[in-house]
Amino acid sequence: MQLESKIYEAADIGAVQELYHSNGWTDGLPVVPPTRDAVAACLEWTMLPPDHLIGIEPVRAMPVTAEKLAVNAVMAGCLPMHFPVVVTAMTAMLDEKFLLHGATASTGGCAVFIVINGPIRLEIGASGGFNALGNSDRATAVIGRAIRLALINILEVRPGGIDRSTLGHPGKFTYCVAEDEEDSTWLPLAQVRGMPPGASSVTVMAAQAPRQIMNEWTTDPREILETFAAEMRANLRHYSLHAGNYAIVIPKQLREHIQAAGWSKADIAAFIHERARIPRREWADVGKGAVVRDRGDTIYPALESQDHLLVVAAGGPAGGFGAIIPPWLGHKSQAVTMAIGACVDCGPPTE
Amino acid sequence: MSFLVLDPTNERAPPLGQLAKRPGSLRGKTVGFISNGKEGTKGFFAHLDRLLREEFCVAAVVSRTKSNYSAPADGWIVGEVANWDMVVTGIGD
Repeated sequence: MQLESKIYEAADIGAVQELYHSNGWTDGLPVVPPTRDAVAACLEWTMLPPDHLIGIEPVRAMPVTAEKLAVNAVMAGCLPMHFPVVVTAMTAMLDEKFLLHGATASTGGCAVFIVINGPIRLEIGASGGFNALGNSDRATAVIGRAIRLALINILEVRPGGIDRSTLGHPGKFTYCVAEDEEDSTWLPLAQVRGMPPGASSVTVMAAQAPRQIMNEWTTDPREILETFAAEMRANLRHYSLHAGNYAIVIPKQLREHIQAAGWSKADIAAFIHERARIPRREWADVGKGAVVRDRGDTIYPALESQDHLLVVAAGGPAGGFGAIIPPWLGHKSQAVTMAIGACVDCGPPTE
Repeated sequence: MSFLVLDPTNERAPPLGQLAKRPGSLRGKTVGFISNGKEGTKGFFAHLDRLLREEFCVAAVVSRTKSNYSAPADGWIVGEVANWDMVVTGIGD
């Protein structure tokens, strides 16, 4: 396999680290040396030629090739079996609806939240159980990190350069979760968003840090979900009034109460859509009275419609916890779901 | 043990654009502003507008605001740029 990337020689593993750190090619953590063989193995696994164009970031006309994505995936610690998820996540991020340049250049400091669905989760050991959203397993850790390193190196999204974030959050190192499909009666997120049953899929969302909630004092779905909605209302007050994609992550303990009452993800989304909204006047309560003006009674929903809520089943088996994940900034960036290695709803060639 | 490792950066990055020719003087020129619409841009462009008119004698200042401050300027705004002698745009927060 003919690779085009410039080759550097480093005397030992320590020299590799210094080479990459000193050139600004890392996230500050050590990297796996991207050797020719390791990169070629990723490309062979996905049957992609090195010069395959994953896509072009349209604002700065920056191409992303399979070879460069594989170099960064290896650096992040990916094995070849992880690479299809990385390819699909990057492809989804290059969808115009995602507004990748805005999301990665903004002072708003968001990260790319990645949700994996389908059989590939089990094949690569991606866990949606204990410590989900944290260091739950190798696969989600390295896949999320691969996306960050690719942004840094391929699209030059470096702090103070393209990345103008005032504050970042820990998800900018890695921000990936696998949905716990086996321990849930709900439709997987990807299916809710139109992917066929059994297809491995990736959903990407430009997202702020998770905000945890806790309510272990009820089994009533309305009361449980009211706590999630309240946290979303808090985000509307303290961060942004703009509606957009929100994700909520519901671990097993709370999930079982909601499922026992017969509630589907659609039922949850309908309830949250109705409850997660505030009048503009509430901004005066949190120091933002200057922009309430004459619109105090205008109601601002967190979700433009209920299908803008991404409900994810994940988390350890015990504990009345959950999380909401707010959008970067309203609907400017929209979540994108894409099947891995498959074309869903593709039209015939137009020429 | 030595390693042969690969460059992770975008070696195919397109070249940066060329700077436009600098005007000799601002007197009698038309200056366009493309604002991202954020709060901090209002005072900045208002001050610059006054400065250009009163101290540099420009003929006109045309102010335009993007519909989405996180995305490139709208096509209709870009279409107007050809009518201006120079344009001021950039980050504002």
